[in-house]
Amino acid sequence: MTLVPRWSGRLAAAVSTLVGALGAGSAPAQVPITSDTFGGLAARAIGPATMSGRIMAIDAVAGDPLTIYVGSASGGIWRSQDGGVTFRPIFDRHTQSIGDLRVDPADPRILWVGTGESRTRNSVSIGDGVYRSSDGGDSWVHLGLAESERIARVLIDPRERDTVYVCATGKLWSAHEERGVFKTTDAGKSWRKVLYVDADTGCSDLAMDPQEPRVLYAGMWSFRRYPDFFRSGGAGSGLWKSTDAGATWQPLTAGLPAAEKGRIAVQVAPSRASRVYALVEAGDGDTALYRSDDAGASFVEVNRSFNIQIRPFYFAAVVVDPVDHDRVYKPGLTLTISTDGGKSFTSPFLGGFGGPHSDHHDLWIDPRAPNRLLLATDGGLYRSENRGGTWIFVKSLPLGQFYKVSVDGQDPYRIYGGLQDNSSWVGPSESWGGIENKDWTSLSGGDGFATFADAADPNFVYTTIQGGRATRVDLTTGDAKDIQPYAGRGEAELRFNWNTPLVASPNDPATIYIGAQMLLRSRDRGESWERISPDLTTNDPRRQRQKQSGGLSIDNSTAENNTTIYTLAESPLDPREIWVGTDDGLLQRTLDGGATWTELSKGLAGVTPGAWISRVVASRHAAGTVYVTVDDHRRGDMRPLVFRSRDFGATFESLATPELEGYAWVIAEDTVSPDLLFLGTEWGLWISLDGGAQWARFEGGIPRRVAVHDLALQPRAGALVVATHGRSLYVLDDLTPLRELSAAVMARDVALLPSRPAEQRLRATIGSWFGGNDEFVGPNPPYEASIVYWLKKRHLFGDLKVEIRGADGELLATLPGGKRVGLNRVGWPMRLKPPKVPPASSVLFGGFEGPRLPEGRYEVRLIKGQETLTGHLDLVADARNPHSEEDRRLKQATEQRLYRGIERLAYVGDGLVALRDAARERASKLSGGARQRLGQLAADAETLRASFVMGGDGYIGGDVKLRERLGDLYGNVLGFEGRPSPSQLARLELLDEEVVAVERRFATLLERDLAAAAALLAKAKLDPIVLPTVDEWRARDQVGGATSPSPREIRQLLARYPGLPTLAADLAAAWPR
Amino acid sequence: MKRSCAAALAATLFAAWLTAAPAAAETLDEILDRHFAAVGGRDKIAAVETARLTGRQQFGPQEAPFTITWKRPSKLRLEFTLQGMTGIQAFDGEQAWMVMPFLGKTDPEAVTGDDFKDMEQQADLIEGSLFNWREKGHTVELVGKEAVEGTEAWKLKLTRKSGDVSYVWLDAEAMLQIKAEGKRKRGDQEMEFESTMGDYKEVGGLMFPHSIEQRPKGAPQGMTITVEKVELGVAIDDEIFRMPAPKPAAAAGGAR
Repeated sequence: MTLVPRWSGRLAAAVSTLVGALGAGSAPAQVPITSDTFGGLAARAIGPATMSGRIMAIDAVAGDPLTIYVGSASGGIWRSQDGGVTFRPIFDRHTQSIGDLRVDPADPRILWVGTGESRTRNSVSIGDGVYRSSDGGDSWVHLGLAESERIARVLIDPRERDTVYVCATGKLWSAHEERGVFKTTDAGKSWRKVLYVDADTGCSDLAMDPQEPRVLYAGMWSFRRYPDFFRSGGAGSGLWKSTDAGATWQPLTAGLPAAEKGRIAVQVAPSRASRVYALVEAGDGDTALYRSDDAGASFVEVNRSFNIQIRPFYFAAVVVDPVDHDRVYKPGLTLTISTDGGKSFTSPFLGGFGGPHSDHHDLWIDPRAPNRLLLATDGGLYRSENRGGTWIFVKSLPLGQFYKVSVDGQDPYRIYGGLQDNSSWVGPSESWGGIENKDWTSLSGGDGFATFADAADPNFVYTTIQGGRATRVDLTTGDAKDIQPYAGRGEAELRFNWNTPLVASPNDPATIYIGAQMLLRSRDRGESWERISPDLTTNDPRRQRQKQSGGLSIDNSTAENNTTIYTLAESPLDPREIWVGTDDGLLQRTLDGGATWTELSKGLAGVTPGAWISRVVASRHAAGTVYVTVDDHRRGDMRPLVFRSRDFGATFESLATPELEGYAWVIAEDTVSPDLLFLGTEWGLWISLDGGAQWARFEGGIPRRVAVHDLALQPRAGALVVATHGRSLYVLDDLTPLRELSAAVMARDVALLPSRPAEQRLRATIGSWFGGNDEFVGPNPPYEASIVYWLKKRHLFGDLKVEIRGADGELLATLPGGKRVGLNRVGWPMRLKPPKVPPASSVLFGGFEGPRLPEGRYEVRLIKGQETLTGHLDLVADARNPHSEEDRRLKQATEQRLYRGIERLAYVGDGLVALRDAARERASKLSGGARQRLGQLAADAETLRASFVMGGDGYIGGDVKLRERLGDLYGNVLGFEGRPSPSQLARLELLDEEVVAVERRFATLLERDLAAAAALLAKAKLDPIVLPTVDEWRARDQVGGATSPSPREIRQLLARYPGLPTLAADLAAAWPR
Repeated sequence: MKRSCAAALAATLFAAWLTAAPAAAETLDEILDRHFAAVGGRDKIAAVETARLTGRQQFGPQEAPFTITWKRPSKLRLEFTLQGMTGIQAFDGEQAWMVMPFLGKTDPEAVTGDDFKDMEQQADLIEGSLFNWREKGHTVELVGKEAVEGTEAWKLKLTRKSGDVSYVWLDAEAMLQIKAEGKRKRGDQEMEFESTMGDYKEVGGLMFPHSIEQRPKGAPQGMTITVEKVELGVAIDDEIFRMPAPKPAAAAGGAR
């Protein structure tokens, strides 16, 4: 087999010698792959957090204002231990969909979590039961109810803390008996279903009497979602009460609507057990808030205002103030508050429309300080300190629920995407100082979907809002033009999916497509559209129920639009070959640009007819090859369904393997290696190295079971952008190792993989400034070369390191290597080590970085015990570098002179300190004239040293001397990528002369004064004073690092100086014990 | 490393039974016995009187040479050098102190509070907390066997006398430590860290890791330590652990 990397042209030659290193031979049989195969490769979490995402549940520790837990709809659980300034995810091994979470009030280390969001919108994710932590969320135990899919409430009995009730809403897309109210009395070891109506009716809310935990109230809800319809309400819905800890239940009916009911929320006032509020969905606009003052024996309707009635399936929630039983909060489309027991509600927001993101699902009120509120919205977490008057947005939760993502061809490339209830955005893959919230620009409104730049002019961006509303945005002016197609005269209404495909031709940037029930094409940036197909769906009227959707409360938002085109692709190899998949199970193909269409879904073995075709991808590598994913979770079938055809769809083979879990959203083919495939399912990112024969989950830096809804590849950067529905975006920056990870490599015990040419990226030192810790900042790609190697088994004994050597064999860097199974990546900053610096009483900031190494070839040696593998690395200039080669050479030469100047001075400085200390020491052992002579020698050494080295603290306490001037000029020349200025060059000459002068004075001191002292020492039989030669000095341990601190890092470093002991402490703490 | 013949024999004889009930196979004490045997034996560990470790520490963008000097029972001195300046942190068994000259301050200062507790704990350098943990007042529990970074390992939970909890993973085959995770308090703040270790080499009959990486938990990058030399039984003057008197002003410049 050959390991010549698959990038093209001159680069192929660059790695050809590596082929020898890796060895040839017959390709071994399939090597099983697992998540560990990818070893230490990690994706970069770039956010954004600027729009955050839907939050479902909040709990905090009463009396500890610093600890907050946030459960998100599809982004896991986050913990803050600083009052909400920063958050850390603590549930990344498990499903990311959270229904409710509860801190044990008696022991805040104990947490209960019910997974699976119960706000059953069309895009909702899935949970898998109950989890418990006994260490504040550091570790979790799964405690069953795995089939419950979604849980609305978890309640802990405050007296018997192993007794916990779970309000299981249950499966959304199918009937199932694991729903209702469950109870455990042994901390989750076993569960008993204590309230159950039927397989279609789940629990929507559960409340406990604050004084008597045996008294419980439960809202039961009949509901179901279909691919094309949602029903809230049915005979099973009702409000129930138990007074014996769930053993028996009585329906509560007095004063409540007699007719069919829908979703019910119920809460007891914490300060008055007899006061019960119930929000009851009912038909004919009768949804209302009801109040009981006799513990549920009877209710009276108190309010049916807009925010009470709107969208009960999404907003049914009531929160009662912890100390005032008449104060009721209604999170909903907005937040309204009643202070009169629910009779009237008003908005608490000051300042008009400037309040938080709409769509509220939970509200936490600090029981000890009820002015403090935390609000869970579709757009993240908000905090109020004045009972909801004004709000602080939490900017550190990257919970973006992306539907679609794309990249452009700029450098750095930009990323575009659309999010659930959070518009469409554009942001950079790399930005000065890191990728900050402010780097992202919103392009639309509403729910965002397909968004991409015009390949011919990235200032034009196409974007879509739910239901096919497409716009074209001009980024130079901010103008947005509606470009959605409209039905023509005599034409049926156009049907667009909630998540409508809008796609650019890979062959012709001027051509775009949009899918309605038929396929439409525009060749004028969406100004006009031509129909290039008939209706490609079943056009089954039974699946066209959007206008009636919702059940008791009509909910016509386009979310249930059906019999529409859901995915489409033009073959990169032939513009006449176009593929279309519909949300009612049809797979359509044209080979003649739309003139004739063939329906091919019958080839998808094992797929129930009518299942959504979630993605169709025409191969860029092989004509006739097409990949198809099918997603039938909306009918309760959660299987991952993945197919490939190699014959234009005549036949399909399944690429699904038993390892895969989660229904399939998207498949993508690498741009270089046809064998490298990426798959996004509801439960993770999956990679195949062999064309789909085997899959393994990629877990490097990405939550294990995060929903991956879309993928984009950037060919120039060799990067994969992963759009998650709940954790924003991740970037896998360099796919080279995955392209090279063949069965032959994996059969070896150790293998050094070819590296792609490493770009010496321009690195802006401007653009960031101070700020707090309260904002998410996504890291840039590492400014370093990657060296990647494979280990079949963990390395345990002997050295494992990487050496970088110059053309002449000179050792430039020794890098500690990773030891783990699978791929290990080592970064190298492509610079010389920083110069040795004259010792002083403060650090020299200019001297923290070494100069860039020249472009060209370097040798890489992987040393593992006795074995050495050799490869090489080519350093190339940043393609954006605007400076001529001549200018860059002059810069390098200037840097080198300054570097040497600093080191020459360092040699003198070290010598003088050694001389001073030795002379002092000898003087203390002498007397009379000899003592005075040696004392004078020490004083002269110190005087000379002090003449070129600053004293004081280096910040505001010292005067600048030659050392600092040199360091300053060195840093300035280093900091600019092009030609040094004439002023700098003139300055260099002057400073150089000063270095020479210092060296002369040093030489004089040694030749005259030290020589004279030597005689005295010999006479007194004391050891002579011997200073190291330049070579000996050079051989001493190099100080300083070889990497490049950014301004942010320098600030961090500076911030750490007062605590420099931490370095030592880190060092000792890392020692195994 | 050095499983006894008896243990190997037992493993073979009961292989089938082990497969059926792997969890019941070993107790914590057996695992620790095997671990310390792999390190080189409890006797050898207990016999180490002094040690000096030298190497390089790479933290974030920087690289600094370091020396750790240790003397039984709990004397410790750490030095690292940055741009020719040397920072010192030391513990003489009773008092902890430091010299941090990087911003012009060269006088030794006493180390107190959580840093002191850290130093006190770190002074158990060669034995470590797992060694005679009962006598030292710590608690160790066997959590179980699990794959860590793709390698089967025994997971131990260590609760130190101070209440700090950390987890330690021992390679199930070699029985040497490959990973640790835990929390450290610094002032009011709690820091979660994870570290991995490897490049074990034998020095004086004992296995020492020569490469350690430590990072804040979940961070993409952290600090690496490369140990270049481990010396045991070197002569070390007690004086170097003791906090010196403030230096005369004249000596302030160019501390090395």
